[in-house]
Amino acid sequence: MTSALEMQHIRKYFPSSRVLACDDVNLEVQKGEVHAIVGENGAGKTTLMSILYGLVIPDQGQILINSVPARIAHPHDAIRLGIGMVHQHFKLVPSFTIAENIMLGIEPNRAGFIDGGAEAENVRRLAESFGLPVNPDLRIRDVSVGMQQRVEILKILQRNAQILILDEPTAVLTPQEVRELLAVVRNLAKAGRTILFITHKLAEVKAVADNVTIMRRGQNVGTHATHGISIRDTANMMVGRVVTLQVEKTPAKPGEVILNAEHLLVAGSGGIPAVFGTSLEVRTGEILGIAGVSGNGQTELVEAIVGLRPVDQGTITFLGKDITHTTVRERREMGVAHIPEDRMVMGLNLKTNLDENVVVTSYHQQPYSKRGFLRLQPIRQLAKQIVDKFSVRSARVGEEIKTLSGGNLQKIVLGRELKGNPKLIIANQPTRGLDVGSIEFVHKTLIEERDKGAGVLLVSVELDEILALSDRIAVMFAGRVLAILDATEATEEKLGLLMAGSALETAESSGEKAHI
Amino acid sequence: MTLLRRAVDGLSIPLLAILLGLAASSFFVILAGAQPIETYQRLFCEGFGPRGCETFGDLLITQVENEDGTTQTVFSPTYGAGGSRIALLLEQATPLILTALSAAVAFQAGMFSIGMDGQFLMGAITVAFLGYWIPDQIYLLAGVTDPEAAPQALLTLMHLFVPLLCLGAAMLAGAIYSWIPGYIKIKLNVNELISTIIFNAIAVQLMGYLVNFPLRSDLNNIARTRRIDDTAWLVPFNRGIFADIEWFSGARLGVGFLIALAAAVLIWFYLKRTTTGYEQRMTRGSLLFARFGGVPTTRAVLRAMLISGALSGLAGALVVLGVERRVVDGFAISGTGFEGVLVAILSKESIIGILLVAPFFAGLNLGATNLQFGNLPRQLGGIIISFIILFSAMEDFLRLRVASLWSKRLLLQRTPTVDREDGAAA
Repeated sequence: MTSALEMQHIRKYFPSSRVLACDDVNLEVQKGEVHAIVGENGAGKTTLMSILYGLVIPDQGQILINSVPARIAHPHDAIRLGIGMVHQHFKLVPSFTIAENIMLGIEPNRAGFIDGGAEAENVRRLAESFGLPVNPDLRIRDVSVGMQQRVEILKILQRNAQILILDEPTAVLTPQEVRELLAVVRNLAKAGRTILFITHKLAEVKAVADNVTIMRRGQNVGTHATHGISIRDTANMMVGRVVTLQVEKTPAKPGEVILNAEHLLVAGSGGIPAVFGTSLEVRTGEILGIAGVSGNGQTELVEAIVGLRPVDQGTITFLGKDITHTTVRERREMGVAHIPEDRMVMGLNLKTNLDENVVVTSYHQQPYSKRGFLRLQPIRQLAKQIVDKFSVRSARVGEEIKTLSGGNLQKIVLGRELKGNPKLIIANQPTRGLDVGSIEFVHKTLIEERDKGAGVLLVSVELDEILALSDRIAVMFAGRVLAILDATEATEEKLGLLMAGSALETAESSGEKAHI
Repeated sequence: MTLLRRAVDGLSIPLLAILLGLAASSFFVILAGAQPIETYQRLFCEGFGPRGCETFGDLLITQVENEDGTTQTVFSPTYGAGGSRIALLLEQATPLILTALSAAVAFQAGMFSIGMDGQFLMGAITVAFLGYWIPDQIYLLAGVTDPEAAPQALLTLMHLFVPLLCLGAAMLAGAIYSWIPGYIKIKLNVNELISTIIFNAIAVQLMGYLVNFPLRSDLNNIARTRRIDDTAWLVPFNRGIFADIEWFSGARLGVGFLIALAAAVLIWFYLKRTTTGYEQRMTRGSLLFARFGGVPTTRAVLRAMLISGALSGLAGALVVLGVERRVVDGFAISGTGFEGVLVAILSKESIIGILLVAPFFAGLNLGATNLQFGNLPRQLGGIIISFIILFSAMEDFLRLRVASLWSKRLLLQRTPTVDREDGAAA
């Protein structure tokens, strides 16, 4: 076997953020291999891949493609050399059809006019040859996330990519879609393509990759055959210390009901109802998990509970008071904390500094302001407290936060939301995009809050997370809560079926079958 | 970073932008049959230099001839023979500072309002009317038939309160005129860029109508309003307290400039140090973030629009009360509001930046207008200014280029200090 790709002594320093993202990194990948690259946020995986794809120019080092030195200064060069990349955030035109997206820029034409028929036909043939069936005439905005990803992969295959870079491809997929994707990746490797698979999720590495490269702090700390290394060892190498993968928690001691949502009807962004008559209760000292495939009304439900989205019908009662139509601020002052789904846009304001971020929920209160004037000293102290207590590395009082890693940003959000001992914590996808170490920290923190007597409403599309943390589990499908199970009686299969919309009885019977 | 280092950092890029702008406009200068260097010297001398300024060097140090025939070396900006041009450019910078602050406040609430021109005109026309109407009413009430013969005590009181009333009314007019686009943006989701452009057009027409018909004072060829009463007039320094200082003699620089400076300090304080300023800045940074944190975003935006409008209205009022003393048909084409928008953008909405850029802008305008005295087309000045603005707007690009040049040199010299990310809890 020849090596399809070699990266030698790659070094990249970002002067603006003073980060040495890649420090003498070597990487060798054989043809037809699935090579996973794992590492925490900020470990340098994405930078390394951006260098390979020509998005970032390294300070030092060289790249060999099929043992020939290659100069990659622009994605054009990469594409010419047969390198394709599927980004974490898809780059597709929503109003175009699948065929139009795949053929974008290389449309077959007849006398200068795009030949739509040939376009669709090309795509159909391409899709079949790789066992990735798509309907070329559907528009991107009408197809699922998993299908969009498939289109991205076809797009780079159409451009004859021999080396495919997949940047955290499973982050946005449902468990079923993940399984399909992994099968596709194996097939592509079998067909002789080389795949670089960047991920946080070590179980996927085990399932799909031949070899795994572990990165930490800009360095390659080891490349191993996947069958020769355990998930635990991989995690430890990534973080540089021993990690507990299992969430340790004692049985819940639930108290009285603090949040009661009854028959909620909430409109989604398009004005169409997203939550239909959903009811649920959260008690003190418990974690209620909401499982469900993304986009089934979870976000709208959360936004209605915290006051960001108007409730059309139904009531929300918190601590015995009707809060259905109160403002966000009133709810926060009563003790509601919110860890939002999108920490970049909603959880934090990346355009300003740490201090102004930590004070957004309390700037109007003493001691942070007095008679309408901000008091900088107490605000600075608050920022310092949060940084110290949650050990937010490389965050400094008064400085910008936009260069911090996802894990550190989430710690700032947690620090701000958990100060002042909230009575109810609404956490929506609290570990999305985080690395193992940060996930462990977020989980531990949520359980600590539960044990201190807070009620926690946890929304997550990660079934593992729901199963590991929740005391009770509600499954949402198409805007409704299909069932609320006790955590002890929930299994992955049962939840998976409910998430796909089956009624509880069916889920239970087939769950039992699965046990037999 | 030391203060010096920061100053060098802050100034080097704008300076580079100016040089590039001049280099690029050389093409047009040569096309017009002129010498680039000479033209630029003329432009800057006419805009920033003392009387008799010939070269770039004269902008800083000038040799001047005394009456007795001896020569003397002077520091140019303080040299005031025949009236300092610095005073003149500060006079012209005064409304520009205010309209730029106005734009900055709106921008920093996430509103891309460019309604400064309209608000400016509303402020101007309001005081052009009230400036004689309020005194008239007072004279009527006090039974004074001839203002010249009015009791001194009454006049003193009026000198104090009439301008204040006028300024207040102008700020209110500007504020309301700015609040409407804000309100329809929030209630009806009408894009503020479009609504403020339309409001500017409405204000121009309204102004034209008022000056030509109801408020027209005489049969002068060009329609104009009645001159404001002396008690409403903000007497410029050269007619008032500094009448003896030659430096001020050529400019109607007055208390308005001090008001503009005070406004700059207040606005800085409002934005950075008050909860309300914080609210509008967070709303701008990320609307979702602000709402998520419980910030009353609607109120913050409307408040910003009111303040923004008041500042532009104030600018218009100061031009009428302190400089023009009346509104003449065609006043509307001054473009002070739009230039304020440019100043705000070029200074990245920084208050200190506005205080530096607005006078620079005023000086360039002055220089461009006076180019014609050197037998150069006035339009050439406009082209040069446009190129300077264009290159200044490329600041980020220039900064990146310069930074990457530097970092390459630094990399060769020393190993950088490295902050490593470590996502895990200790």
